[in-house]
This record gives sequence, structure tokens and C-alpha cells, in this order.
Amino acid sequence: MIEFDELNKKMVLKLVYYGPAMSGKTTNLMALHDLLNMEGRGELMLLDTREDRTIYFDLLPFFYVAPSGLRIKLKVYTVPGQVRHDATRKAVLQRADGVVFVADSQQSQMVVNSESFDNLERNMTMVGLSLERLPLVVQFNKRDLPDIVPEDEVRCAWRSTGLPVFMSCALKGQGVLETFSEVVGLTFDAVNARHGLTARFEVNRDDFLGTILRTSAANDGNIP
Amino acid sequence: MMNEATSHIDYLIGEEKRLADIIRRVEVEPLLMSIVRAGAVSSVLFNEESLPLAEAGSEPDFGQWRRIEYSIKVEGEPKGLLRITGKPDDMSLAPMAILMRDAVQLVVTNNLKRMMTTELHTSIVQESYEQLAAANRSLVESEKRYRDLALSLEQKVEQRTAELQNAYARLLQQEKLAAVGSLAAGMAHEINNPIGFIKSNLSTFRVYLERFAEMLDFYRLLTSKGANPDQFKLMSENRWRSLKLDMVLGDASELLTQSLQGVERIAQIVADLKCFSHVDEKDHSDADLNVELERTMSVLVSQNATEGMFVRELQPLPLYACNPGLISQAFLGIFQNALQSRSEGLLIRVASRVEEGDIIIDIADNGCGIAPQNISRVFEPFFTTREVGLGTGMGLTVARETIIAAGGSIGIESRENEGTTVTIRFPSRTERNR
Repeated sequence: MIEFDELNKKMVLKLVYYGPAMSGKTTNLMALHDLLNMEGRGELMLLDTREDRTIYFDLLPFFYVAPSGLRIKLKVYTVPGQVRHDATRKAVLQRADGVVFVADSQQSQMVVNSESFDNLERNMTMVGLSLERLPLVVQFNKRDLPDIVPEDEVRCAWRSTGLPVFMSCALKGQGVLETFSEVVGLTFDAVNARHGLTARFEVNRDDFLGTILRTSAANDGNIP
Repeated sequence: MMNEATSHIDYLIGEEKRLADIIRRVEVEPLLMSIVRAGAVSSVLFNEESLPLAEAGSEPDFGQWRRIEYSIKVEGEPKGLLRITGKPDDMSLAPMAILMRDAVQLVVTNNLKRMMTTELHTSIVQESYEQLAAANRSLVESEKRYRDLALSLEQKVEQRTAELQNAYARLLQQEKLAAVGSLAAGMAHEINNPIGFIKSNLSTFRVYLERFAEMLDFYRLLTSKGANPDQFKLMSENRWRSLKLDMVLGDASELLTQSLQGVERIAQIVADLKCFSHVDEKDHSDADLNVELERTMSVLVSQNATEGMFVRELQPLPLYACNPGLISQAFLGIFQNALQSRSEGLLIRVASRVEEGDIIIDIADNGCGIAPQNISRVFEPFFTTREVGLGTGMGLTVARETIIAAGGSIGIESRENEGTTVTIRFPSRTERNR
């Protein structure tokens, strides 16, 4: 958690999209930006990139105000996936409240995926995040490409971890909302358990998710 | 160093920022001023607490004015308020206000991006620096640890080496004493033998002496009684025969001759021993090594060797300054090794010669030889191929120490089942003085 100021009724939460380079983390955020209603969110901020690759991070903020007056700000970040930017990943990951691991579904990327997941586990430990407690959702992206690992295999391989796994095609906006909805829900539950959002601040789970996940009227879940 | 590393501000990505952190008065005021110059009455940017952050122109206290307000967002969240005031009939006020809003918003957003980039960059540089500093500290520590370790290791090695050298020196001394002991035991046996028969001879001789005395007493008795010559002759002959004096006289002479020979032999052994150990000589003297070889062989002959074993090929040698007693002991060790190499038909070739001024001595046997894998170890302390109790493994070690101490060198060559040759080389006098 970035900030919880009870006096000024303000809470700032952090979600992080993690994963190997070119797996589609920024594309996920761009799709969220396009799919979700302007009222619940701020602008997508893309920091300097080089050759279309994130070297710092991207940021998409969401807002919610509870009937009690508690303002909750949810900041969604991506990390740079390239191995050399490990220090940046660690910095972004600090005090995260939820993580989405975006994997590349292509057969050729399986080793890269697992290295990146190892890196996530290591960095979580280093910045003091609990692997058992932190909400973590896995997304297998690029389902539209040929030579991808079949869904059965993916689910079979990840079953033992107990983590929720989603199939997606972020470029077409498919699976993006489902992934985001899951991580926001899990994060809400975790924060609620710790700080009593519902009990003390009248934050309703459905209302919170509904506000943040309010889709644009123009397109109902899919980018045309 | 330490201060530099710890004094940094902990930067958290996502930390909320106030408008005043993002944008400074001097950055916005020129923008606000431009709209006033274009005809607006005043232009003000308020912060989160509705206090002016920057302003241009001044709002009149009275009259009819038109106010246009826009919120300025940080990360999409309204934080500041931009208020443009102008004349009610100014048609360009509204489009100018939109332009102003977009310009201020752009500055805020760009500044925020730059700040986030800079802060992240700084924190990464800081972290890398701290990692390097930590790595450096641990390197310095481990280097110190290894240096201390190396230092104490050196001391320990020196200490252990000294201990080993002491132990080795004690062992050499013990081995020398043991060699002297076994020599003494051999000598005692050799001396005991003649002493035994001399003692027995002398006991017999005492019995014989009593008979001579009895005969002489009888003569004296006959003379004092004044016996006639015939009587005298008859009685004395009878007594002479009953005392078996013919046999006794012959035997007594034989006994004394034998005893004298025994004494001679003891004298010879003692002389050999004295010469061998040089008890009556100074520590260092000019020695003829051929003579030392002969002495050693003769001591061995009086123990467990026979004269026939030795084949001498001795050429005249120059005198060599050394402690002859110690050199003889070294020879003894080498000979004893050769003596144990074969039980029957053993021949030991003892050769001496001069080569380019150096004295060369070969002691070669036709014994069992030494296995190739053992040849390099024969001078090692305690190395022995003999059964437990039969060899200490120190004989050749002591020999080598002694030869080297005397300025010489020793080498060994061997073929299994053919024999072993030990070669000793003493340098010429000139070379030694060099």
C-alpha cells in the first residue's frame, strides 16, 4: 500500500503488471484505458519508451469514493520486462497490493516466462512482500498467435500453485477485463480483511468493483 | 562514504504529490501573464487548499466580471484550480481560457513524468551505488580475513615445521643411539666369547697349579727325611704318575696359549671399536676413507658378516677432512642394508676412486634390489619394506644425513632381483672451499 491517511480519508493502492519483455503488459493497460469508462479512471501515463519498449513504467490510475467519504486511488503500473531493468522492477514492485503476471503463450517463450516468474518471486521476497498472502493473478497472453502452449497444458502446469489463470489477447482486448477484475477483487478482499473497508468505511465490494470496472458505453467489453 | 549511502531519501513509486511539488511559480507565471496581456483581467492557479500558487493581474474588488474555472489534474485526479477572470463581453476569453488550461495541464503532466523518471532513475542509481558499496565493504572484509588467515597460516606453518624438524632431529639422534646400541650388543657378544673360555681355562689351570704344588711338597718331604736315591726315585715317580703330571703339563701350556689368543682377540676387538668410533681422536681430522671402509668391514666381520662377502676395488684416495667416526657409522648403515638384501650368496662390492678430484665410493650388493616405485622413498624417515620389527626405516636416512652434513652427497640405483648400488660422492678439497 502506497498510502493510508485515515485523517484525510485517503487510501492509495498499487497494482503491478509483471512479466517477461514483450509479453503485453503495456498493451493490457492500453486496453483497460480504452475499455473502461473515463469517470472511474485517470489518464494512461506512458513514461519514456525506447523502440516501443517500456524502460521505466506505465501508470493508469483509478478512483473511487466511498459513501463515508474515503477516497481510494488505485494505481496500476507495468514494469519493464527486460532482464537488465531489474532494479526498476524492484522499485516498482515495492509495497504492491496485487500483482498480475503476464506470460507470453508462445511455445518458444516458456523458459523466459519461468525465469521471469522466478525473478518475480525473488524480488517480492527482497522488497518484503509475502508470496503466500499477496493477491497474484496469472494471465497467458497472445492466445491469437500460432505455436502457443495449449490451454489444457497451461492450466495443468499451474494447477498446483492454486493461482487464478486467465487466457487473453490483450491486443484485441480479450481477457483483459477478466484478469483485471480478478486482481482488483482479490486486492479488495485482502485490504478489506486488514483495514475493514466495509465495516469502517462503508465500502461495498460490488460498488467498488463496479465503479472501477465501469465499461465505456461505446464498446461493451471489446475493442471494435 | 557511509553518510552518502544512508542519507538518501527513500523514494516510493506511486507516492502522492502535491501540485506545488510538481510545478513552480516561475514556471506558470509567464503563462498566466500571457493571457492577462491578451486582455484577461487576472489569471490565478490555486493549489489543493485553494491558496494561490501563482497569479497574474489582479481581480478588481467591484464591478461585473466573468470567471472561467478549470481543474488541473495530477494523474487524472483534480488537484488545482485555474481561474481566469475577464470582461463579460470579451468574446476571446473562453477560447483563451481553454488554451491556458491545456497549457498548464501539459506543463503539470510533463513535469510529473520528468519527476517520476528522475526519481526512479536516482533511486536506481542510489541502489546500484549501495549495492556496490556493500559489495566493496564485504570484499574489504573478506580480504582482511584472508590476509589475517594467511598471516596466521604462515606462523602456523613455521611452528609446525619447527616442531617437525625437532622431532626429525630427535629421531635421527635416537637412530644413531640405536645403531651404537646394536653395535655395542654385537661387541659384547664377541668379547664375551673369549672371556668365557679364558675364565674356564684359568679355573682348570688353578686345579693344575694345586697338583704342581702337591708334587713340589712331596719332593720337599722326601728330601727332609733323607730317603735314599732309589727310594726317592720310586716314590716320586709313583706320585708323578698318580697326579698325571705329564698330561697336566701339556694341557696347562695349551690352556695358556689359548687364553693368550683370547686376550689378543679381545684386544683386537677393542682396538677396532676404538678406531671405528674414534673415541680417542678429535672430532675432525683428515681421514683416509679407504681405512674407514676397512674398519667398518672388520667390525661387521666380527658381527654378522664373513670376510668372503666383500669384494674390494679400492684405489688410493686423498685425505678428506671429516668426522671419521660419523662417516664410518654412515658406511655401517649402508652395509647393514646390503647385508639384509640376500640371505645366501651375498657379495658386496666396495669400490673407491677419484673422479675429477671428487672421491667416489660405491657400495654395491647383488641382493633383492628395490622396487621402482620405492626407489625415491628409501631415504625417507621410517620408510621400510621389511616386516614390522625388522627394520626401523631409519638406516639410510641417518646415512644420508651424515654424508650431507660431511659435505658429500649420496645416490642410489637399483634393479629388482639384480642388486642395489649406493654411490657416495665427496667433493674435492678445492670445490669444497669455494
